[in-house]
Formats: sequence, structure tokens, C-alpha cells
Amino acid sequence: MKTFSAMLVAAIAAPLAAQWNYPTPAIPRTSDGKPNLSAPAPRMSDGKPDFSGIWDVEHNKPCPPEGCVDFYAPQEFGNIGWGIDTGLPYQPWAADLAKARTAALRKDDPLSHCLPIGILELQTIPLYRKIIHVPGLLLILHEYNASYRQIFTDGRALPVDPQPSWNGYSSAKWDGDTLVVQTAGFRDGIWLDTRGSPLTDAAKVTERFRRVNYGRMEVEITVDDPNAYTKPWAIKLNQLLMLDTDLIDYICLENEKDLTHLVVK
Amino acid sequence: MRKLGPGWVMTPAVMVAIVAIIPTPVPAQWLNYPTAGVPKTANGQLNLDAPAPRTPDGKPDLSGMWQAEAGRISRPCPTKNCEELRTSDLWLDFGHDLAGGLPYQPWAADAVKQRKLTNGKDDPTSKCLPLGVPRLLVDPEYRKIVQVPGLVVVLNERNASFRQIFTDGRPLPDDPQPYWNGYSTGKWDGDTLVVQSTGFRDGMWLDRIGSPLTESAKVTERFRRVNYGRLEIEVTVNYPKAYTQPWTVKVNESIVLNTELLDYICNENEKDLKHLVGK
Repeated sequence: MKTFSAMLVAAIAAPLAAQWNYPTPAIPRTSDGKPNLSAPAPRMSDGKPDFSGIWDVEHNKPCPPEGCVDFYAPQEFGNIGWGIDTGLPYQPWAADLAKARTAALRKDDPLSHCLPIGILELQTIPLYRKIIHVPGLLLILHEYNASYRQIFTDGRALPVDPQPSWNGYSSAKWDGDTLVVQTAGFRDGIWLDTRGSPLTDAAKVTERFRRVNYGRMEVEITVDDPNAYTKPWAIKLNQLLMLDTDLIDYICLENEKDLTHLVVK
Repeated sequence: MRKLGPGWVMTPAVMVAIVAIIPTPVPAQWLNYPTAGVPKTANGQLNLDAPAPRTPDGKPDLSGMWQAEAGRISRPCPTKNCEELRTSDLWLDFGHDLAGGLPYQPWAADAVKQRKLTNGKDDPTSKCLPLGVPRLLVDPEYRKIVQVPGLVVVLNERNASFRQIFTDGRPLPDDPQPYWNGYSTGKWDGDTLVVQSTGFRDGMWLDRIGSPLTESAKVTERFRRVNYGRLEIEVTVNYPKAYTQPWTVKVNESIVLNTELLDYICNENEKDLKHLVGK
């Protein structure tokens, strides 16, 4: 077990300690001058919540007695169904596949090959992401492989036969103050977590983004993938705002040394 | 006229290697979703010569999907879809348009000679690593500029990667984290966005022949949207370690309408590198 954790950590280098340290503008402050993370969410000129900012995962995994490792992944990174009492409702083949993938030390994990990791794992991997929210588009820049994801908010429909891709094709509309993002058009072979829970090209994903206050965003994710799961399932992820910093691009393939070690002994 | 030195003959084999590095764009760009606000002439025709759009603060808006100007020399066509490979001349040689080429220091000229001989096998992009600035500007795949207050973001199909150009008035950092894209800040000089970048990483290639660009380089890009359909970027590289004098090259980009980015993940099913063997 310890070896496996070490591998996991080795697979993703620790984010560099020194981020850029450029001050975030317009931080709401309490009377004693501290950032007021509980202040209301900022709003765009059209009155809708503004999701812009740099976001980190919620570090909900207790640290071991010897202290937290640098690569401090949340529970859902290892098991996307961690928050579901009964676990994910795998189809039998999907349960077997996840077991086999774990036993094989994740050597076939797209992450182990520095490939894209898809829209769920992008929200659980402990690297920063930056949301740029403009009329018609919510753009997410991610430290992982210096990659981006586009969510169209200009009212377009999902394409009927999209080009399969790691991020799928995402279109969103507002439900009150919640941005409801629908995504389809995934490529086969995506892993939702490091235990290897699959996502197939039949999947439809709904994400409900809600900026609860200045400092926190909740994303409720529903996965409807009848090929891999017996019924749709939903989880909730918290995202925490990071101040006075910016993205440091993490290029997985740069000096990659891990894959050759992911061998079952 | 392109100068093809020893070891850089455009043989079909070399061409295949080059083309293999850049697969032709998929014919059906997925989306065919109409671009909003395209200017039309009185008779309803697309008007690419219309003035550049402007942001609410009155500055030109560089936002849009852009494609590098295609090369002007004819090349042997290794596949039937070759016409879709709109490779810029600058992709192969950033100094293509300069009389005499880039003003290499002797060691840099030697490095380029060697890199040609080895078919670019050590080119970072042969290993699916980032292209970096300014080479991304001439990558034949599309890019999308999203210009918002304080920030210009460039999304690149190549490795589905982004670049940030800060336009909020911040200075360049004194000791930036070395990176492929460097650290970029921009400010307006009239209608031209002047972008300064430093903080590059070691070992970057500016082009396919291997013109070097590394740590101490300073790159200035002057972005000017000449009209609705055209973007000119004047790139100046000041890097005395590799070049005897600063040099300037102009990159032309044309607008791409009614489509979207189609992410190109280089290391997905990558099969080229092992074929890039030197002579």
C-alpha cells in the first residue's frame, strides 16, 4: 500500500512552492483587512454570478501522522464515488475493469501516459485551475498540461454527433444562480479516478456550478453512462478560491520518469 | 526562395517525416457553428476587409480563431490530402523571410546544421512537448484568442494548451519560473498590442530546423489586427547568446470563421518519433 501511494505521488510532481505572487484585484475584506472569503460571490454585468478566479480542490483527505505530502490529492481523486455510501453502481464488467486497473498499478491510466484526464479528474487533481468567465463562454485553464476546457454559454445546442474528445463538448445555461453544464461526446477510455472507474463514449455528464460565496464553489456532478453504470449517480465537489497567485504550467511529459516503474512485481 | 543546405534536401522521405509530425487537420472541423458578428458588405457578402472590432474600452479586439499564413513554396505532396497542410514557411525556418536567414552565432549555426542532419528527432515537438512562444504563432493548427479586460488568452489546438498574456499593467517578474511560453505582459501602443516575454526555458526550438531560443531570450510581439480578417504579428527576438543581432520577422494570420478548436493531443497514439532517425 505504501509503495502504491509513493507511486501515485511520484506520478505527479509536487506543484512548485513559489507561485507568481501577483495580488488578486478587488478582494473583499473584513473590517480588520483580512480577505473575506464568506462575502457574496461577485457578479457579472448581466447580474449572473461570476466564477472567475483561481481554484483549488478541497483537501478532504486526512494527512498521515508524518504530515501531508506535497501532492495532496482529495478522496475523489482516488475514488470518484468516495462520497456515495454504496459506492459507484458499476456494471459488472466495469467493476472488474477497475479492479484489474488498480492491480496493474495504473500503468494504463491516461494520466500515467501524460494524456488528458477528462473533465471529472481535472476537478479532483490537486493542481490549480483558472476560470475566465466572459459573455458566451466559460473558459477553464488548467495547470495540468497547461490545458484548457471551453464551456459554451451562448445558447448553442450540443452537437448531434460530436467529434469524440477527452473533454467532450460542453454547453451551459443558467438555472437561477446555478450554471448547468451539459457535456456529451466523450472519447472512450477515460478514467474518472486513479482506481480506474471508466467513462465510456455513451456518457452524458451534467455539472451544476454554484459559487456559494466569494471563496467557495460547489460543483454537483451527475454522470449518466448506462454502458458502465447501472444507474446515474451524483457527487458534489467543493472548489476553494486561491488568492494572489497564478497558474504554473505543469507539463507532464517533461522529464517523465514514472511510467517505466509502474510494473507489478 | 528557400535555401536548402546540405542535409536539408526536401526529399520525399524528409517531407514525410515533417508531415508526419503535423497530421493534416481533420477535414470536418466539428462544429460549423456560425461566428457571431461577422461583418457583411451591402450585398450580404462576407467582408473581411471591414475594420477590426473593438472592445468596450475602444481598443482593437483580437478575439477570434486564427490560422497562420500558408507557406509559399511548393513542396512534394506525400499524401492525397496534402493540400490541407497549410504549413507556414516560418514553421520550418523562422528566418525564411530574412535576406541571409537568421543571424546565428557560430555555435547556433552549428547546432542548426546538426539538427537538420538528425531530422529534427530532438525537436521538443517530436516528443510532444510544448512548442513555446513564438513558434506557436506559426503552428499550422488553429488558435483562438480570447481577449478580456486585463488578459489575453491564446488557446492552441496543439496539445489543447493555453498561453496567458497579462494586460493588467503588471511588470515582468525579475526571476520568472522558466517556461516554454515564458512570462508575457502586454500594453497598448495606439492600436498595437505590444507583448514582452522573458523567462523562457532552456532547450527550445524556434522552428523545425532547430533555431535555438533559450533562457535569456527576450521576445517582443506587436499584435495588430489590420482589419476584420487579418492579424499581423511582428516578432522581435533579442537573444545575443544565439544571434549576433536582434531580428524581426512578420507573421501573418487570417481569421477562421464558423468553426471551433478541435483539440490535437500529440502523444495520443504517437507513432512518429521512432521514424525520425538521422542519416
